[in-house]
Amino acid sequence: MNAQKRILFVDDDRDFLASQSIYFRSRGYDVLTAASGEEALRLLEQEVPDIMILDLMMEHFDSGFRLSHQIRKNERLKEVPLVMLSGVATATGQRFDGEAEGLRRWSQLDAFLDKPITGRQLLKVIEEKTGAAR
Amino acid sequence: MSVGKKGRILVVDDEYGIRTGVHQLLELEGYAVEEAQTGRDALAALERRPFDLVLIDYRLPDIDGLTLLQAIRSREFDVMTCMITAYANIETAISATRQGVDFFLPKPFSPEDLIGVVETLLRHKAVRQEAEELKLAHEASLLELASEKSQTHSLVENLRDAVLVVNRSGEVALVNRAMASLLDSEEGRLLRQPAEAILSGERFTPVRDALATPAPGRTLFDMEIGERQYMVSLSPFHSAKRDLLGHILTISDISEIRRLALEKSRFIRTMIHEFRSPLGAIKGILEVALDRSLGGSLDAYLPLLDRAEKRLDGMVELIGNLLSLSRIEMEKRGGASTRPIDPTPVLNEVGELYRERVQARSLTFAATVEPDLPGVCVGAEDLRIMLTNLIGNAVKYNREGGELGVRVSRAGGEARIDVSDTGLGIRAQNLPHVFDEFFREKRPETREIEGNGLGLAIVRRLVERASGRVEVSSTEGAGSTFTLFLPLGA
Repeated sequence: MNAQKRILFVDDDRDFLASQSIYFRSRGYDVLTAASGEEALRLLEQEVPDIMILDLMMEHFDSGFRLSHQIRKNERLKEVPLVMLSGVATATGQRFDGEAEGLRRWSQLDAFLDKPITGRQLLKVIEEKTGAAR
Repeated sequence: MSVGKKGRILVVDDEYGIRTGVHQLLELEGYAVEEAQTGRDALAALERRPFDLVLIDYRLPDIDGLTLLQAIRSREFDVMTCMITAYANIETAISATRQGVDFFLPKPFSPEDLIGVVETLLRHKAVRQEAEELKLAHEASLLELASEKSQTHSLVENLRDAVLVVNRSGEVALVNRAMASLLDSEEGRLLRQPAEAILSGERFTPVRDALATPAPGRTLFDMEIGERQYMVSLSPFHSAKRDLLGHILTISDISEIRRLALEKSRFIRTMIHEFRSPLGAIKGILEVALDRSLGGSLDAYLPLLDRAEKRLDGMVELIGNLLSLSRIEMEKRGGASTRPIDPTPVLNEVGELYRERVQARSLTFAATVEPDLPGVCVGAEDLRIMLTNLIGNAVKYNREGGELGVRVSRAGGEARIDVSDTGLGIRAQNLPHVFDEFFREKRPETREIEGNGLGLAIVRRLVERASGRVEVSSTEGAGSTFTLFLPLGA
């Protein structure tokens, strides 16, 4: 069995953070949460999680991109898988317009997923990205 | 024919026998007949009422027939004339014709002759009258046509859309003001110029291309000039015989339509986000419960399920607000009542609605209405929605044990409704945005407060619909006051 994997969830929806924490803790993960980009950056000064799940639209429509860009500038966090969640991508009928694609590269994401998303779906991605398949 | 059954005839003769004989004969034929013995009597009769025909004896006691004829013509009576005389010689005939006589009947004549002449003359008159009427009608329609033409011209001239008509040889045949201003020119300088030359510059390249290779039907395309978007339409026009006469080019500024469409899709995007967040939260909570992540006891899930219910309530409220917005949008014209109402019952009703929550938060609620205030011109339901939103916010954003005040008063010619709280307040830089749809101030203190950012947007739309306005003043950390200004009834 792998060492306990640590997930950081960054989302301004506290109910979402609560349910994801419970779901993943019950599966043996260590879960960290932050309700804003600022809070996440503060947390990341101390911690290096195994994977980060960021919400795209927090304070601003592109808060997630800004945050991931900030994270990627940090040497310690360069290799940590980054998953972005967005509630608007499919709704507009275009998953990425040109600008968003550029933003995605700029923020060096490993995956981009649509919201609403279930723990079950996330679990698969997390196992795959952290090599934690058990 | 103007009068009488078949026409009105004046018989002018000093000779009693002839006068009465002619009178009786014509009356039997169905004409209305009057007699005159002298020229002066005849003129007096003609002055009194219109006649269709005057039968004039050449020899009259006062003035002769020719002088009478002259008088009739010079006074422009619309009447046929027939000269009757026993002295039928060439000279009298010529003189009478010079005076414009319509017929010359020599004595003696038979009744049939007379009747034949009368009928012919009256028919002439009818034809002449008809021709006159036709002429008038024709002139009138020409006038109408001219005014229609000028109407059409001023219509085209004042169209908001830019219009350019190009003839078959590619020259400008018509240009309106909007087109001239789009081309930075004047209409007079553009007429008869080659269209290609006046549509110069890179920005008109697509238009020039379309004109150079015109399609058989209408061509439509979009174009941008600077910051503005245009829709270009190019249509051929043909003569009645289907020959190509030229092309009509119209360029319409659609920037505002585009802006509204963009605004709408932004609104929809935000709305979707506003629905997906609670859906995601509820879905996550249900998953945890179904997964038994916290073990088999239901109690462990109650706080989460409670949250799920709150989020569902939020969605129901969001739907309600979206419906209100769309209703206001659809009723924009004539939807609001301007009949003045007493705001007190509405205020009491809303106060009652929030009583429990006011108590739960230990707030002091004070409402005052200025006595003898005339009615306020607003729909009662609209006022109820506005007060529900404003008082609801004052409860939500207040501090525990704070104060909540509603004051209805008169300010100049308007009703003034202040709703104030002693709560979180709003940051100065956010004040201009609080009435925007979906705007919510993101501060650590506001995070736990439910809301969808539509309440104040609804208030603004409703108050503006009632020809009023809403203002806000606030100090961060001290509280906010929202003020509605509404027209007062008489």
